[in-house]
Amino acid sequence: MRTVLVLVGNEFRRFATDKAAISLTFIVPLVLIYIFGNVFGVNSEDRGPKGIPLAVVNQTDAAVPAAIISALQKEPAFKVITSHKDANGVERVLTEPEVRRMMRAGDIHFALIFPTDATSDSEVALKMKFLRNARNEIETETVNGLLEKTIFTAAPQALLASLQRLGANQVGSETMTRFNHSLADAVARGFGGDPANILHSIETGEFNIPGTTSAGTDGNSFLDRLIKMEREEVGGGNVKNPMATRSVGGYAVMFLLFSLTGASTSLFDEKKAGLYQRLLAAPVRRTHILWSKYIFGILLGVVQLLALFVAGRFLFGVDITSNVFNLLLICLAAASACVAFGMLLAALAPTAAAANGMGTLLILTMSAVGGAWWPTSFMPQFMQQLSKFTIVYWSIEGFLRVLWANCNTRDLLPVLAILLAFAAVASTISIWRFRHGQIFE
Amino acid sequence: MLTIENVTKRFGEIVALDRVSLSLARGEFFGLLGPNGAGKTTLMSLVAGLRAPDSGSISINGQHVGTNAMAPRHELGFVPQAIALYEELSAEENLRLFGKLYGLAGQELRARVDHGLHAAQLFERRQDKVQTYSGGMKRRINVVASILHRPALLLCDEPTVGVDPQSRNAIFEFLQKLNADGMTIVYSTHYMEEATRLCSRIGIIDHGHLLALGTLDELLTHLPFSELVRIARNDHTTAQMQALADYGEITKAEDAYLFKLRDGVRFSEFFAAAEELGLPYRYFNIRRPTLEDLFLHLTGKNLRDN
Repeated sequence: MRTVLVLVGNEFRRFATDKAAISLTFIVPLVLIYIFGNVFGVNSEDRGPKGIPLAVVNQTDAAVPAAIISALQKEPAFKVITSHKDANGVERVLTEPEVRRMMRAGDIHFALIFPTDATSDSEVALKMKFLRNARNEIETETVNGLLEKTIFTAAPQALLASLQRLGANQVGSETMTRFNHSLADAVARGFGGDPANILHSIETGEFNIPGTTSAGTDGNSFLDRLIKMEREEVGGGNVKNPMATRSVGGYAVMFLLFSLTGASTSLFDEKKAGLYQRLLAAPVRRTHILWSKYIFGILLGVVQLLALFVAGRFLFGVDITSNVFNLLLICLAAASACVAFGMLLAALAPTAAAANGMGTLLILTMSAVGGAWWPTSFMPQFMQQLSKFTIVYWSIEGFLRVLWANCNTRDLLPVLAILLAFAAVASTISIWRFRHGQIFE
Repeated sequence: MLTIENVTKRFGEIVALDRVSLSLARGEFFGLLGPNGAGKTTLMSLVAGLRAPDSGSISINGQHVGTNAMAPRHELGFVPQAIALYEELSAEENLRLFGKLYGLAGQELRARVDHGLHAAQLFERRQDKVQTYSGGMKRRINVVASILHRPALLLCDEPTVGVDPQSRNAIFEFLQKLNADGMTIVYSTHYMEEATRLCSRIGIIDHGHLLALGTLDELLTHLPFSELVRIARNDHTTAQMQALADYGEITKAEDAYLFKLRDGVRFSEFFAAAEELGLPYRYFNIRRPTLEDLFLHLTGKNLRDN
């Protein structure tokens, strides 16, 4: 038994010296548990997504759309956008064409339009258009549900108030008032209650009408017949396999980060083997070695991404041929950023084990925060802000613009610029570190 | 061929090389002998242009050596202490890569690689991955990979560490042949046998100082004695050592006493005294001093203990 205990003690001593093992055993799970907890609201009473941008265009002055917009603004899941700044920086009320442009550009994914005939003086009904760019299925389904819940909760009162106004217009306000009083008295006699309270409910529309509390999911409900919501896909409507097209980018970039970080940390193995002594004693400069690593990494990354997309094409029918030039551009930019990330890790970490440990932690964190696993809108606001500082977020954004929205090169340029800027900054830091560090000595 | 002038190199507080100067003629086989940490590898890395000296200068055939100077690198081959090969590649792939880095191509590259594989006695296994080779095979390819471009100067930094006697001999013979063909070789080692066997001139280095420089015979003249008597250590001899100390200096070795005759005393006097003390001749063994003795004399410590 003593021998076993001695060996167990030795195992712990060795473990304590292995930073990568400690990182993978404790830090990576803790970070991921924290992120998962925030996404699923484990410690929060107010669970669910927060601040999903929802553009709202109201083309009427009617009270019902205004009431619904007010309810949407109170719903924490949404960040209601009703205006935007034009090219001159002037704040302007959103219009439908502007909303459609923003959706095609990927700036927003959901919009609610109340057209000029949203309500009518001749009938009690509400019409609206729900525009969506369903790039992320989970997010889209969630927004659908939340939108219906909010609308079907706020609409009845507004519609019944509208009914009162319609009645007053038709028969005159005096007759309508007498009718309401008679109705309130009849209800009080038949079902009990204070006639004055019942009258107030009738006049303001505060009724609990059966079929209005189930968020309108029952197609036969009373409100479904009153509220007409037209749904339209803006961007991605013609995608052959939406599910695969949405998810392929996120997973592709995660695996790309793993493979390219592994390739970059080979610097440590080559140093340990003494290869840099041989190479640098030959007519080879440090910059030659670094450039070879970058070029190899980028080519490997592009080939890996293309292999994954080709597999997606044959296995799941993902369309990669209709926008192939832009797909190549985004693959190149994503691969450059991922190589730069791997080289930065190799430049900053003191050992291969430390680089691999840090790499695993950062890649999984970036994948979670950057939207590879779930919509970023499901995370708290600070994480949503954080996601925009990750390669994963911008790579996914680029892949979706190309594969989902079939965008042109001009619309892809901002994403390409961000990824290449990250690559440039990370590479500059890495090269400085490599030149002044110990890796080549 | 190689000129090193007043070179100093520090790593923080540690002075790895302190004003080292050295000059090598074409065709020399120069041994750099010293214990681990003496500064041999640092000096090699400076000559190879891997690091820059803090002060002083190094030139190969008149061309200044520096970390960014590419021209002298074509004159130079470097056999690192580590087996600096891509283990997942074959010997042939490794040699082709390193040959290409020196600008070799086509038929010339093919011929040099084949020649190198034959010289390393690995032609039959040229397509096997290096990781499948024995330590000796790897060491042989490690040397060959450094001379494909036929450098004028070859630096060998302890190239036989961990090698079996057979492979060690093969490497020695290979290097001796290269030297006979005109290649200048700098060979660092902490084995005095290697330096003695291979090198026409030897420099002894310790704590960054070049302590002595010359041929083996020249170096041994630094010693104040020309013969060394090894006396078996037992109760009999131990009892008489005090009496023999009148004839010279006695030091204790592991299982013997080492006796160095004092100036002006003849061996016949010493042995006559020993005979009178009743010590038989079989207890005595006379030998020539070695580099080990010189190192002990220069530094006060054994080369092997380091």
